Amino acid sequence: MQILIILLQIAALLAIVLLHVAYTTYFERKIIGHMQVRMGPMLVGWHGLLQPIADGIKSFFKEDIIPEQADKPLFLAAPIICLVTMLASLAVLPFARGWVLADINIGLLFLFAMSSLASYGIILAGWASNSKYTFLGGMRSMAQVISYEIPMGLSLVGVMMLSGSLNLTEIVTAQGTSIFSIYLFPQIIGFFVFFIAMLAETNRVPFDLPEAETELVSGYLTEYSGMRYAMFFMAEYIGMMVMASIGTVCFLGGWNGPFEIPFFPPFWFILKVYGFLFLFIWIRATLPRYRYDQLMELGWKLLIPLALLNIFLTGLFKVFT
Amino acid sequence: MKVQYKPKRNLLGTIFQVEILQGMALTLRKLFSPPITRQYPDEKPPMYAGFRGQHALVRDPVTQDSKCIGCMRCVTVCPSRCIRIRCQQDAKGKQKVESYSIEVLRCVFCGFCVEVCPVGAVTMTELFEYASYDRESLLFDKETLLKNWDRFLEESAHDENYVNPFWRPRGVPEASLAASQRMKVPADWTIEGQFIGTSLRQPQQNGAITHTEADHA
Repeated sequence: MQILIILLQIAALLAIVLLHVAYTTYFERKIIGHMQVRMGPMLVGWHGLLQPIADGIKSFFKEDIIPEQADKPLFLAAPIICLVTMLASLAVLPFARGWVLADINIGLLFLFAMSSLASYGIILAGWASNSKYTFLGGMRSMAQVISYEIPMGLSLVGVMMLSGSLNLTEIVTAQGTSIFSIYLFPQIIGFFVFFIAMLAETNRVPFDLPEAETELVSGYLTEYSGMRYAMFFMAEYIGMMVMASIGTVCFLGGWNGPFEIPFFPPFWFILKVYGFLFLFIWIRATLPRYRYDQLMELGWKLLIPLALLNIFLTGLFKVFT
Repeated sequence: MKVQYKPKRNLLGTIFQVEILQGMALTLRKLFSPPITRQYPDEKPPMYAGFRGQHALVRDPVTQDSKCIGCMRCVTVCPSRCIRIRCQQDAKGKQKVESYSIEVLRCVFCGFCVEVCPVGAVTMTELFEYASYDRESLLFDKETLLKNWDRFLEESAHDENYVNPFWRPRGVPEASLAASQRMKVPADWTIEGQFIGTSLRQPQQNGAITHTEADHA
């Protein structure tokens, strides 16, 4: 009976998240369109509202092409690795008090592990496709993930030190319900580092080198088609949401808001995640791509020292208060 | 032209990434500005005088036939040689146009044929949506060209007198124009009244052509 309930919860979460993925793509196209004084999708449904569904159906029925020279098992497994790890990290996210599938004590570590594993999918996709564009995309992804995993982890160490826990629910509880007690203010350096590393981890503009359209066709997913291509896309957007959720939980006070919403406790959490997603899209509409060496320089020479400084300052703060 | 450089960014600007914030503010402002997209098949673009669209032969309201006299000027002037005319002299020695065809796929839409026509027989309409799946339908013969004219009159707000004054050859004195081209045009369509850009206007003001000042005064 317990298992049945959990399965039902998982199914509901999956459905909601996939619906969100579909409509994030819609809003991304719409918002970027309007920011570029265009209209975005307009034809499928009222103001193009059915566009993501049409896209989904289209990619579902498209031919799944496997290149002759590709390493077949890895080629087939790569998108699944990407998607599964991203979906798995949804399990530990606390949407509200008690609204969490697996309230484990190493929640934050689990999320790091999963987001690192997802990049294995990208690297394997780049390697197994046996094409120079995907290979370069995979290589870049590898370098990027290694460089940015470190500042990302270090930037959250401050949060761990302040809350004294890796459990996401406890991190939220430790921040208190007041808007002035969220970790954004004491951890402003940490948030800055986390935010940039978050953009890099999810391969978003201005760090979208692994799939740089202008130079690498489509980077690591050049050789993919149909549903597998869509799986990479879903993984990318779920990754965005997971990263936005981590930011919300660790820096913005999770589900706590100015006042409580009856019957729907995750309201503030979802609102904050939407804010993050809008920021992602807004940045994509504005900024150009970083050059490869600039990306490395930013990661190693700026973000890691900043994150270490943040840990040091947080330690001082803990000792003297 | 003097290049305007931005002032050098100071340390505070670097720390707070002011330039990125400026860019973000711009895109956010644009998010709320109305889009400039024209939803084309539903919204047609505005047409301006002298648009070089589909070719047509003007149907003379008296004879119900083309005004063409077969002078071959358009054939001669056509840079892509896409016009073909065949004439015949009837018993009284009068020239009669047997066939007139324009191969649109070769046309470069320069409009020379319209400018050179002494009777205002050939013209270009404002119609531009006539794509086709085969080549044959884009080889306009005399009948098709006359039908193009009928269709244009029907679909547009123009009347029989549409032979665009825009097609008047520039810089030709009024007296040496063909009769059909000596029609009244608004002042800004004459060569004197027209704005041709700063570099071209300079010699005019120095005395070569001084109509502009005289007209304005």
